Amino acid sequence: MTDELIRLLGVGRTFRSGDIEVRALRDADLEVRRGEYLSIVGPSGSGKSTLLNIIALLDRHTSGTYRFEGTDVTELSEGARTGLRAHRIGFVFQSFHLLAHRTVTENVIMSMLYNSVPPRERRARARAALDRVGLDHRAGFRPGRLSGGERQRVAIARAIATRPAILICDEPTGNLDSASTESVLELFDDLRSDGLTLLVVTHDDAVSARAERIVRMHDGRLSEPVAV
Amino acid sequence: MAVVRLRARLRVRDLFAEALAGLFTRPGRSLLTALGAVLGIASLVATLGIAETAGAQIVTAFDELAATSVVVTNDRGFFGTSQTQAALPWDSEERISRLNGVVAAGTMADVQLGGRLTSAVPVNDPLGLTEFQMPMIAASPGLYAAARGELSTGRWFDRGHSERADRVVVLGTGAAQRLNVTRVDQQPVVFVGDASFAVLGILEDTQRQPELLNALIIPEGTAREMYDLESPTTVQIDVEVGAASLISEQAPIAVSPDDPGAVQVQAPLEPDEVRAGVEEDVNALFLILGGVSLLVGAIGIANVTLVSVLERIGEIGLRRALGAGRRHIAYQFLLESTGVGLFGGVIGASTGVLVVVTVSALRTWTPVMDPRIALAAPVLGALVGLLAGLYPALRASRMAPVDSLRAGAAG
Repeated sequence: MTDELIRLLGVGRTFRSGDIEVRALRDADLEVRRGEYLSIVGPSGSGKSTLLNIIALLDRHTSGTYRFEGTDVTELSEGARTGLRAHRIGFVFQSFHLLAHRTVTENVIMSMLYNSVPPRERRARARAALDRVGLDHRAGFRPGRLSGGERQRVAIARAIATRPAILICDEPTGNLDSASTESVLELFDDLRSDGLTLLVVTHDDAVSARAERIVRMHDGRLSEPVAV
Repeated sequence: MAVVRLRARLRVRDLFAEALAGLFTRPGRSLLTALGAVLGIASLVATLGIAETAGAQIVTAFDELAATSVVVTNDRGFFGTSQTQAALPWDSEERISRLNGVVAAGTMADVQLGGRLTSAVPVNDPLGLTEFQMPMIAASPGLYAAARGELSTGRWFDRGHSERADRVVVLGTGAAQRLNVTRVDQQPVVFVGDASFAVLGILEDTQRQPELLNALIIPEGTAREMYDLESPTTVQIDVEVGAASLISEQAPIAVSPDDPGAVQVQAPLEPDEVRAGVEEDVNALFLILGGVSLLVGAIGIANVTLVSVLERIGEIGLRRALGAGRRHIAYQFLLESTGVGLFGGVIGASTGVLVVVTVSALRTWTPVMDPRIALAAPVLGALVGLLAGLYPALRASRMAPVDSLRAGAAG
């Protein structure tokens, strides 16, 4: 087995609405290796989110083959895909998706509810993850009292607490000012150096420039510059 | 294929914790939602409790007069006239009086006068109506006590009168009025046909067998000799409180040992039956009311849960992305609505019990309640919550994670 983590072969996604067919993604070929820091960049409407949802197992592709850690997930049951999400994939969203009524620690612990982390380990792992993103001093706060950058770092802590195989980030800096953006991007660099695989989808070239590999999307097609 | 075995899971403890956290996120709303269940359960519990209390109250304040009266007749009823009537023995009074629990017993029978008229004076007065057609009843000495009669004047006849077939009569108050007899100290006489009877007393009132009040009442022995009375037709028995059912079983055997089934017994309803009847009456109406309020409560819970599902689309999407399966989402919302129902059931049961106690205190009743009701009420509330949560939970679990995340991206 190579260090291949994700392999897309001719993956497409067609949306049907009545008689209208929209091919949001066409013949996408993509390989993500373990430990890679990959960025997918493109204008809005180019199909980035569609690709990300398929990679993240939130959506099903309509053509082609998708292998995750060597397993063909194309025909996988919904339950098995859910299990994969719980154990192997970490999410960071543009809008953070933190529960306002829970403390920072409780928000981080939530990602460990649905996988096999034993209850007595959760708090320690949440604390470690918060420590990793530099927010251990905010553990008892509610998200409403945090800045945007801090909230996104809590979301990252939540994602890495389950020790996923890959961290998938959808416009992670879309709601942040430049200072917060910088702090998040620095965190990504650190996580990258820890060996975590990062997939960052963005429309911002400045953000994608931090990745070691950039894939461009346009009109549902992928194109990879030969070198950066 | 190691990854396939990585199933999403959710510990039961975590599920409960999440559902509880969901409820406490908006405690005010959860309380208001539970209010519907509270009202429904409270009215059900209060209804059942008050019915039971009132039923018990009726038993303690039951009709002492009716409950201590047992009547045995040889009347076969309207359709039984062609059959042989069981003749009640002449000594029915003695036989019954021997039974334990009997206070007094007496027999009686209608006497056929064959058109003989009754008058107080042996004179034919063409101007005034002095002759009447009056019912005559032959009675045993004990009937006076058994029927709880009350004489305004004079006395009741005794066994001696009956054995000697003395021509004596006790006038019912109605009969005395028509015959214009008001006092007995001058030894008035009434005539039935050609026969004269000395008036012994006037029966002012009676609590049982009211037909005595309009009748001429003569001793049984007299009726046998003069009018060929064959047998008593009715035995009136005054029993001790609580002995009615026992006596109503034993009396037919005492008076008709060879064929106890041939006589009819009128006994009061058992207290238990009375209570059951009352509870049924009260329950039928109010249980419907309680059921309706519970239904309204359930619809309320369903509504609010549905609203909360729509509000928490983002959370649902997040949980799905974090690896929650459809069923985990469904369980969570089901558990939340069940929790609301359970809470409503507990508060409702408490409120219902309080209502029963308050009503009882105001009316100085003894509150009576089956403890199972108070225990079953929260279960019913939880069940209502569970049912109410089914549709919202289904809606929540069916949302595609992608759509949920996008729709809930406002935060």
